[in-house]
Amino acid sequence: MNKAVFQSNLTKMIILSILALSAAAAYMLIDVNFTNEKLFLYAMKIRTPKLIVMIITAFAIGGASIVFQSVINNRIVTPCLLGMNSLYTLIHTAVIFFAGSSSILAVNANLAFAADLIIMGVTATLIYSYFFKKTKHNVLYVLLIGTVLTSLFSSIQSTLTRVMDPNEYDNLLNTLVASFSNINTEIIIFSVIVLGAVIAFLGKDLSVLNVLTLGKNQAINLGVNYDRSVRRLLLGVTLFIAVATAMVGPISFLGLIIANLSRQLLKTYKHSFLMLGSALFGIIVLVGGQLIVEQIFTYSVPISVFITVGGGLYFLYLLLTRRSV
Amino acid sequence: MQIKDLTKKYNGNPVVDSVDLEIPKGKVISFIGPNGAGKSTVMGMISRLIARDSGLVAFDGTDIEKWKSKELSKRLAILTQSNNIQMKLTVRELVAFGRFPYSGNRTTKEDEEIIQQAIAYMELEEFQDRFIDELSGGQRQRALIAMVIAQDTDYVLLDEPTNNLDIYHATNMMKIVRRLCDELGKTIILVLHEINYAAFYSDYICAFVDGKVAKFGTVKEVMTKETLSEIYKVDFEILEIEGKPLSIYY
Repeated sequence: MNKAVFQSNLTKMIILSILALSAAAAYMLIDVNFTNEKLFLYAMKIRTPKLIVMIITAFAIGGASIVFQSVINNRIVTPCLLGMNSLYTLIHTAVIFFAGSSSILAVNANLAFAADLIIMGVTATLIYSYFFKKTKHNVLYVLLIGTVLTSLFSSIQSTLTRVMDPNEYDNLLNTLVASFSNINTEIIIFSVIVLGAVIAFLGKDLSVLNVLTLGKNQAINLGVNYDRSVRRLLLGVTLFIAVATAMVGPISFLGLIIANLSRQLLKTYKHSFLMLGSALFGIIVLVGGQLIVEQIFTYSVPISVFITVGGGLYFLYLLLTRRSV
Repeated sequence: MQIKDLTKKYNGNPVVDSVDLEIPKGKVISFIGPNGAGKSTVMGMISRLIARDSGLVAFDGTDIEKWKSKELSKRLAILTQSNNIQMKLTVRELVAFGRFPYSGNRTTKEDEEIIQQAIAYMELEEFQDRFIDELSGGQRQRALIAMVIAQDTDYVLLDEPTNNLDIYHATNMMKIVRRLCDELGKTIILVLHEINYAAFYSDYICAFVDGKVAKFGTVKEVMTKETLSEIYKVDFEILEIEGKPLSIYY
């Protein structure tokens, strides 16, 4: 990277960090009673875990989306295509359908989280490492498998909801919307451990990301063990998305927005910058969005509505303005 | 480099059929032959881009499958036809990627010097901060060659380097190939469609037909009326210019 670009990227990163920090500060402090110590502590106790969850989600989805786009070599794919959102929806529907909304799997948050993560983790490992090998490492198959799985899961899910008790369905709908509330400390700690483990597992594979953007042939020419690296990276991406989804619900569409905002702003191929930028954008969008949801709409509109509407428009914009996709 | 009994099949049909070759060191070797003769596939298998079905490609006495990919990338570089780079990269950044096998993502002082030399060698100094998608085909090809030079390998494999280039740029490309061999002592293997470029600029020619080596030898040995007519199934005349055989086909 030449010096001028490096300097301007550094400045942009600092501005992004400041924005993310001020969003976080605003989220923590707006409308808080400072005079009464007990009320202040209560507000902090409610808001701190939510903020932490949003930051973790932003890092997981932001990082995973950049990696996923680089592996597929296409800037408008989102890890949504891996089918984890619809799998999550299916798991929760199936639990309520077969065990009922009062069953321990539906009521106990830790257990539900563990079940989500295990099922998604096993599916991810099976599909994105085994099938990927079977299909001779063709990344397009990954997209195809993901798309087919998404419709399979959604079809099963909609069949289940059709024959479901209406009251149970009402209960179910609440869990199918992405939300940062009611996430306890154990889940947060566990998520961080899993994410850390995935990063440690990937290790060296992350350093080949820059070279992967030159294409498969160039990457091999430059000594990258392409098949192995791509397989491990894809697995990592799916696990990252699985953790984020198990924690807050179906939200990975966010990845498309923040990854592209980061690529558009930073104009570099360096993944250290791109991933950090994407995560910072994630924090700004999530924390800012949640601030609006809580303070202006007083919880009447869930944040995923904003993400889907905004993301959809942004996606159209990307499609229309980019000459080559 | 030794190639023994190399075979590749697609759906049971052999595209490369037990090819045996020994690549002489420090020379320019051109692979020629009609479409579908398997030249690019052989090239792909030599450079580990394409998996082979059977056979052996021994590089410095060791099969390339047993080489560590990173070590091999310090000895052997390949440039294929498809180079659609999606990223916004400047020429200099592209050339810097040639140092990846040595230093990963962080270039050292020494790397910077090698990158600068490679850029100078390809006369790209004035373009070095331009983005590659803003360059012409010929300039982009030169930038890619500069990257290969920065990779600093003994062997360089080029798959149809003159493709999509006009006569001026294609001829320049071939002159560069010759210089890489004569000045930097590299062994260069090319896949070429223009027989006369192969004849004028290489030391050896290997002609493929139907996945087999039809003829391998020095330029003079291969560039005969009979051999070429047999390979391409059209009539040839051979002329001599600057002591080198050139062909006319009709």
